Amino acid sequence: MANFANFTPTRRGLLKGGTALAGAAALGGMPRVASAQEKTLRVLLAGDPFYYAIEGLKDEFTKETGIKLEIEAISLEALQARLTSSFVSNEPDADVISVDQMWLGQYLGSKWIKPLDDFIKADKDMDFSDFIPEVLYSMNTWRGQVGTLPVASYAQMVFYRKDLMESKGIKIPEDGSWTWDEYAEIIKQVNGADFDSQKIVGTVLAGQQPAPIVHMYTQLQASKGARWFKAFPAAPTWDFEPTIDSPENLDALKAFVDLYKYAPPESINYNWFDAGMRFAKGDIGMFYWWTAYSYLCKKDGYMSGKDSVVADKMGIVPLPKQPGKDQVVSLGGHSLGIAGNTQKPDESWQFIKWATSAKTQKAMGLFNKFGFQFSDFGRKSLYSDPDLLKIYPYLPGQLVALQSGNGKIVRPPAPVYTTLEGIYGLNLNNALSGAMSPEDCLKQTSSYFTNILKGNFLIPFSQPSFDDTLDATKALIKSLS
Amino acid sequence: MPNYVPWLLISPSIILLLTLIAFPLLFALKNSFYFWNLQMGPTPMGFVGFDNYKMALQGGFFLGALWNTVLMTVVGTAVEFMLGLMIALLLARQLKGMNVARALLIMPTTIAPIVVGFLFRYMYDPGGGLIPWLLTSVGIPIPAQGLLGSSSTALWAVLFADIWQWTPFFAIVLYAGLLSIPDDIIEAARLDRTPPLAMLWHIKMPLIKKTALIVVMLRFMQLFNTFDLIVVLTKGGPGASTRTLGYTLYQAGLVDFNIGLSSAMTWMMVIIVNAIIGLFVFFAFRDWD
Amino acid sequence: MVIVLMLVFIGPIVWFVLLAIRPTATAFTMPPVLVFEPTWDAIRYTFLDPGNNRPQLFNSVIIAAGAVLLNLPFSFPAAYALSRYKIRGRKNIMLWYLGLLMAPPVAFLIPYSILASSVGLKGTYFSMILICQTLTIPFSVWLMRSFIDEVPVEIEEAARVDGASTAAIMLRIVLPLVRPGIIVTSMFAFVFSWNNAAFPLVLANRSTTTLPVGTLQYFGTAGVTWGFIAVAAVAAMIPPMLIFLALDRYVVRGLTFGSVKG
Repeated sequence: MANFANFTPTRRGLLKGGTALAGAAALGGMPRVASAQEKTLRVLLAGDPFYYAIEGLKDEFTKETGIKLEIEAISLEALQARLTSSFVSNEPDADVISVDQMWLGQYLGSKWIKPLDDFIKADKDMDFSDFIPEVLYSMNTWRGQVGTLPVASYAQMVFYRKDLMESKGIKIPEDGSWTWDEYAEIIKQVNGADFDSQKIVGTVLAGQQPAPIVHMYTQLQASKGARWFKAFPAAPTWDFEPTIDSPENLDALKAFVDLYKYAPPESINYNWFDAGMRFAKGDIGMFYWWTAYSYLCKKDGYMSGKDSVVADKMGIVPLPKQPGKDQVVSLGGHSLGIAGNTQKPDESWQFIKWATSAKTQKAMGLFNKFGFQFSDFGRKSLYSDPDLLKIYPYLPGQLVALQSGNGKIVRPPAPVYTTLEGIYGLNLNNALSGAMSPEDCLKQTSSYFTNILKGNFLIPFSQPSFDDTLDATKALIKSLS
Repeated sequence: MPNYVPWLLISPSIILLLTLIAFPLLFALKNSFYFWNLQMGPTPMGFVGFDNYKMALQGGFFLGALWNTVLMTVVGTAVEFMLGLMIALLLARQLKGMNVARALLIMPTTIAPIVVGFLFRYMYDPGGGLIPWLLTSVGIPIPAQGLLGSSSTALWAVLFADIWQWTPFFAIVLYAGLLSIPDDIIEAARLDRTPPLAMLWHIKMPLIKKTALIVVMLRFMQLFNTFDLIVVLTKGGPGASTRTLGYTLYQAGLVDFNIGLSSAMTWMMVIIVNAIIGLFVFFAFRDWD
Repeated sequence: MVIVLMLVFIGPIVWFVLLAIRPTATAFTMPPVLVFEPTWDAIRYTFLDPGNNRPQLFNSVIIAAGAVLLNLPFSFPAAYALSRYKIRGRKNIMLWYLGLLMAPPVAFLIPYSILASSVGLKGTYFSMILICQTLTIPFSVWLMRSFIDEVPVEIEEAARVDGASTAAIMLRIVLPLVRPGIIVTSMFAFVFSWNNAAFPLVLANRSTTTLPVGTLQYFGTAGVTWGFIAVAAVAAMIPPMLIFLALDRYVVRGLTFGSVKG
């Protein structure tokens, strides 16, 4: 309620108007359905693969703890809208919620989720140090606090048709010792080839704005050494001056626009799964994308349970590098947090602990209702688990990708990230379609960024900074384990 | 003394509606002058005067969306009206099997817009959707990026879904209007050997004018607020070619969480729509009782 | 002509219904696969095990039916008054109702969630039923008024001479005579409330969310389960369609908005 202190006039007016409603409510006598059962936990998730596994395993949790689960999954956009309305009105909507890494600062800062540090510290049997530090750094920590824990962790890797490359005599390095130029060269080489009774298209992009194209493009951008801001987040004093309009980024964007020439024209409107499922159809030579597509592309449709034509013909290798630049891999995924206004924080913690535990994550990997559809582990130990390796042989490479990841560089969780992503995505999409030159795209993006950041009082930045480094996260892990 | 009975009867609905409508509008009015971005903090962070309005107009997003919206609304309403009228005239010929056809015809209108969005997303799919396949099989070229992927066709593809859903509504309403024209008027005109087009234009249309105006206005307002179709079909893309005001508002409020900015947009939209409706009412409903 | 009409307007619906029972492999194959062995997997998952959409169907019924019930006591008296009394500004009042529909629903979502929670109604069926009235009442007043217009005033005058009160006339004489109007108004109120996805999207919680919103849960970032979406969407389509088919004879009579007095 204190949140609304400077709002009083409107709220009073509203309460007056609301008496009609309240009276009607009394007459209607509608019971409040939400808080009917005591030992029930409400969980609100994004409807990604991990949800299907958790939904399938939820009885295990009930057996272990006696707590019943009511799991609801919705699309990411709907999720954000639902959560926001519930926070703004200060009404609990769920006890455990999916929190995107980009919302973490916003949610923690607004006390919409509870920090997990104390829970972790008190729980000695959760083997906290098993989590991959790069994952926790990228997705779960903000200003030295752990806000969430990862339930599905993705990096980006390259996927290619093994049989096609073999027939062309092209060797793709398993250890990531290749460059983006070589990557583009191979795509040009296989583009248009007649293979397996179809015409091969060199690559596929995710061109839909805002999020999909930004997710894909920023990987190339980061790999080629371009950054979003002058000094954020690993800097003693933050400076949000945009550095989008740099020569490195222009080079990256030109390369990206060039890739589109060897991609299906309709991929300008592709979102995450459109791109992934296009590869699963078999007419794409090679592309890079989130690691979840390692198993998703093996199926002919999402949760269809049936093998795709590329199921046993996929090569999965680490991303190419830019000579002279350190490799930075994009990290993303889904994390769970405890809603700030829940009445069941302890039960909520039990669920998060359960869902992110090695035992449950392994069970999720072995869950076979739709075929095996989960290998997005946030814990190191599972990457050498023999049972999982049998199903997901690419896991060692995926661990390497995760360990060279830095989600906070690739998509920096600046306080107005979503707004910036909206602008960036729109302009990148325009650059792809040719409606805008790469130069204009970056110039305009940069000037819009400046306007937005100034308008939101981030330039100049007068709030306290936090030198957010991987080492700081490693130290935090140590202190909590 | 004025008769209070009618007011007693009307006021419950007006009070209820006023309560439900006024609160969000006042909420938006107040917050349109505040800096309140949920990405920055949970509560309003100070009075900023007209900055939100300025921001909405900067960069041309709002104006671009306004243009898309007006284009979509005007073309959509006109096409739906014309196609609907043609179908209504066809229905009025009372051919065999027409009753069943008419009963089925209303079906698209009963579907939730969100479901219509999914339906058309499925049918437009460039990698195996029914519509691209049909078009290419009869020799109509479609853009390589797909109907929803090309900025020259995306808006029309979205609009087509709306036209598909609402043309039947126009058809049924206009058909109902045509049916209610008393037979003797038609008979008299027929005896005067009025040609069919003149019959439609000078005899039938004036009689169903009121019905027609109301559906046109109704659809105009619904189309003006379109956003769910766009959320499912294109997310405003490619580029900004399918960004409507409704979607821009959704983006500002529920994606970017800038409550101040979205409030300012709300009011700009309310003013624009009111102006349009005002004009419409002034010209179209002038001679009403 | 009629066949073309049916193909254009009903064809896509049939095509989408087929998606619900199609094996995934044939969903995007062109030329279309018309003969296939139906699979019930999607129906089983969405409505039986775990069956997340089953309670949503129930919620949709409660909310839409509730909206219909609440709609009548508000809109019928208003429509009666606007039909029978020559009050000042009648035209403007009528247009005001219609003008309410211009309010952009998206802009109302956050204010409504604050409003609903401040009166302790957030996430309840009642809050959604109530908010649906912004859609149903304006339309209903218009529709209902045209029906009342058609009832000859003479009947009422006769009753008035016999000493009947306004309330008695309205409820005992006019109401039964405009039964078709009540039916058609209720049909539209039902469909408007049933199909609205924006309000339940932010105002409902898991136990009160509705079926059209339920289709969104299979639209993830990593993939779209078209089969599940189709099942949920088809289930959301059927009840309004059945109502319109069953009560078809009222539809045409009802939709003239009082154009021609016959």
